[in-house]
Amino acid sequence: MLKVSDLTEVYSGGFLQRGSVMAVDGANFAVQEGETVSLVGESGSGKTTMAHIILHLLPPTSGKVVFEGRDIWAFKTKKELKGYWYKVHGIFQDPYAAFNPIYKADRILYQVFNLMDRGVRNRRRLVREALEAVKLRPEEVLGRYSHQLSGGQRQRMMVARCYLLKPQLIVADEPVSMVDASGRAGILKLFLELRDLYGTAVVFITHDLGLAYYMSHRILVMHKGRIVEEGAPEKILGDPEHPYTRKLIADIPLIGRKWEDI
Amino acid sequence: MDNVRLNVRLVVSAALFLAVVLFGLAGPWAYPVDPVSRVGGKLQTPSWEHPLGTDVQGRDVLAQLIHGTGTSLSIGVTASVIAVAIAIVVGVISGYRGGLMDDSLMASANVVLAFPVILLLLVAAVFVPVRSPMVVALLIGFTSWPGLARAIRSQIMSLKEREFVFLSRMAGCSGVRIAFVDLLPNMMTYVFTSSVVIMSAAMLAEAGLSMIGVGVTKGTSLGTMLFWAQLSDAVRRGLFWWFIPPGGVLTVACASLLLLATALDQLFNPRLKER
Amino acid sequence: MNALLAAEDVKAYYSSSKGLVRAVDGVSVDINPGDVLGVAGESGCGKSTLSNVLMMNIRPPLRFLGGKVLLDGKQDLAVMGREKVKTQVWGRVITLVPQSALNALVPTRKVGAFIKDVLRYHLKLNSREAWALAQKRFQELGLPVEALTKYPHQLSGGMRQRVVISVVTLLNPKLLIVDEPTSALDVSTQKQVLKMFLQLRAKHIVRAIVFIAHDIAILRQIATRITIMYAGKVVEVGPIERVFQGSLHPYAYSLIHSVVTPEAEVKERGLSHIAGEPPDLLHPPEGCRFHPRCPHSLPICSREEPPLIGLGEDRFVACHLVLGRH
Repeated sequence: MLKVSDLTEVYSGGFLQRGSVMAVDGANFAVQEGETVSLVGESGSGKTTMAHIILHLLPPTSGKVVFEGRDIWAFKTKKELKGYWYKVHGIFQDPYAAFNPIYKADRILYQVFNLMDRGVRNRRRLVREALEAVKLRPEEVLGRYSHQLSGGQRQRMMVARCYLLKPQLIVADEPVSMVDASGRAGILKLFLELRDLYGTAVVFITHDLGLAYYMSHRILVMHKGRIVEEGAPEKILGDPEHPYTRKLIADIPLIGRKWEDI
Repeated sequence: MDNVRLNVRLVVSAALFLAVVLFGLAGPWAYPVDPVSRVGGKLQTPSWEHPLGTDVQGRDVLAQLIHGTGTSLSIGVTASVIAVAIAIVVGVISGYRGGLMDDSLMASANVVLAFPVILLLLVAAVFVPVRSPMVVALLIGFTSWPGLARAIRSQIMSLKEREFVFLSRMAGCSGVRIAFVDLLPNMMTYVFTSSVVIMSAAMLAEAGLSMIGVGVTKGTSLGTMLFWAQLSDAVRRGLFWWFIPPGGVLTVACASLLLLATALDQLFNPRLKER
Repeated sequence: MNALLAAEDVKAYYSSSKGLVRAVDGVSVDINPGDVLGVAGESGCGKSTLSNVLMMNIRPPLRFLGGKVLLDGKQDLAVMGREKVKTQVWGRVITLVPQSALNALVPTRKVGAFIKDVLRYHLKLNSREAWALAQKRFQELGLPVEALTKYPHQLSGGMRQRVVISVVTLLNPKLLIVDEPTSALDVSTQKQVLKMFLQLRAKHIVRAIVFIAHDIAILRQIATRITIMYAGKVVEVGPIERVFQGSLHPYAYSLIHSVVTPEAEVKERGLSHIAGEPPDLLHPPEGCRFHPRCPHSLPICSREEPPLIGLGEDRFVACHLVLGRH
């Protein structure tokens, strides 16, 4: 369904193009329908850059992103782009920065009707249904401004936006890292429900291998812009091959087993 | 506690400025003396008939002051509106589009910023010898926008990387819509405060320019009063009723505007409140 | 033996335009030498406020409304007066590494110069002695001595965090309080920083640590005891293993089972999820603060607040259900 080939992104900065950074270095991977794939990497690994390229927010320096057989960076019309975003959508990390503070929070839900046919009736009903699907009470959040809502509520509204669209692929960039550990489970369950109900594929981007392990069919480990290892969660955790992956696993705090080298 | 201090500042500055405005607007109605015709003897000291005396041509100084204040205020407002409008358009386009557009717009901003305004006005003085207040307002407005444009541009550049902009883009909103509907309203408090400061600067600019003869030549403004006073050697001759009032009103107007700007700043930016 | 620091029934509220936010509402905590006390809870439960109260770092809008903070069982910091606490206690007896401390270094000074100043001022050393002491401390803690000659921006985030930690412990304070010290760091750097804390204790540079975190897995790795807070109150206390293997308070149970780690057992048992939101601390619920979200709440829970009761062997719980059983 989605295929990323030889993707490279180079940021060049500085006055005379000195000091360029290779954020993504020849990445290759594919996502099948209904699959949940996790991109695991630390900050600076290039995972957010990858997300932006796939979401058509940042053009790649070279390489291709092909969705349903079409190169998304070859789109010419607004219509094609809107069509893409209707099927492939994003959820971001920061529940604070995701809302424009001067408008009401539900704007992020009503906005997506712009991607659908003009004649969509019952917008309010659809919005209410989406809110209920993410276990938010419409009375509690409709008409409110973002600063009046908690971080967890805001992230749920982002997921509600996806419920409205029912896209084929969601690219979620660290969707729970700014939510308290105890609130994460609730939001992760919403992703799983989306998958079960509508067959939505998810590219789940995170630095937390634990989340990746819990959520995904396949894990891709990113380091310095490259995908260094790929495999099923059990394999990656049980039998990691790449030294970077090994170190990552050794350094994660676990509940069942204590570190010996500390 | 600091709410009280803030309110005092806000109220005092607003009240002072409104007093000046009232003086300029309602004055001609309350004191209907013609500022340009000779109404009394020359250089008379203040009296009941002429509360601020007369100038070297026998014109009533108080009448001039009233009309002059109105003129200077309208020049200040007009120049500010023009400068802010240009700054918004340039700043938003430059910040949002980036690239070549950004480079060329900022280059032009730098030219305007660096160009000696006096030179421009001297040239203008040659081609447009009779300058009404509107002409001067235009000139000042067209040279006062770079600073604000730069500030708007940098705020836009940082805001456009925020997630809510990505979400708007993914909802299919066009760049123009995002720039003017999503981003600009977030800066309106800053723009408003800046427009107050620009107005103050414009009024001072007008006074300075008119005083040296390259500003207003048609009509009465605070600056032209100072021009004529200076031409008649008012300071050396001790003609205090003539040169002190225009300077005084100008000072009160500009100081109150700047105080208002700081009060607004604190109002919009609660983190700036003093402990 | 007296506890190193004992907070008895402390109350600290924030005054806001809408009323008093009861951030820490009758909390008792004790810290013994050798402890690494983990303080866990959702954001907004009062744990960061508690860290300030333990040091008596109280500034408006925070107000201290009652209770004692006893140092070594003798001095009550709550009545000591701010100036005295600042000069005699902070840095020397109790020290704090607040959140986002890795940005706390002055960017225009080299790290070594800054440390030298601190040492010269507090320990009255001359320049040479101070420099030698700084180097010695860095070596002790496994930090590269070259870091002393760098500016903060030349160091990585993890290194800066470790430098800040070494600075605040230069005077060998008895108690180190840290608030979410590793949330901005990646996993490997986090482990290095956690290792450093344990080293500080092992080398007797500090005697006890209070570690505030919302990530329970970290606490599992380094804490000896754990205190779990909810909505300004303590709900469960105990040795780390006992609380993890058999937590008694329903909230503590849910909290521990909501953590996602890459372990097969976690995946199998599934994640627990507590519905609802923590209460508004301006108007907390009557009775037990957790009762609106508690799956086991009894009628008494909505009427009476459960007191924190000791069950022996350093176990404490505040829950009517548990009290009924024992």
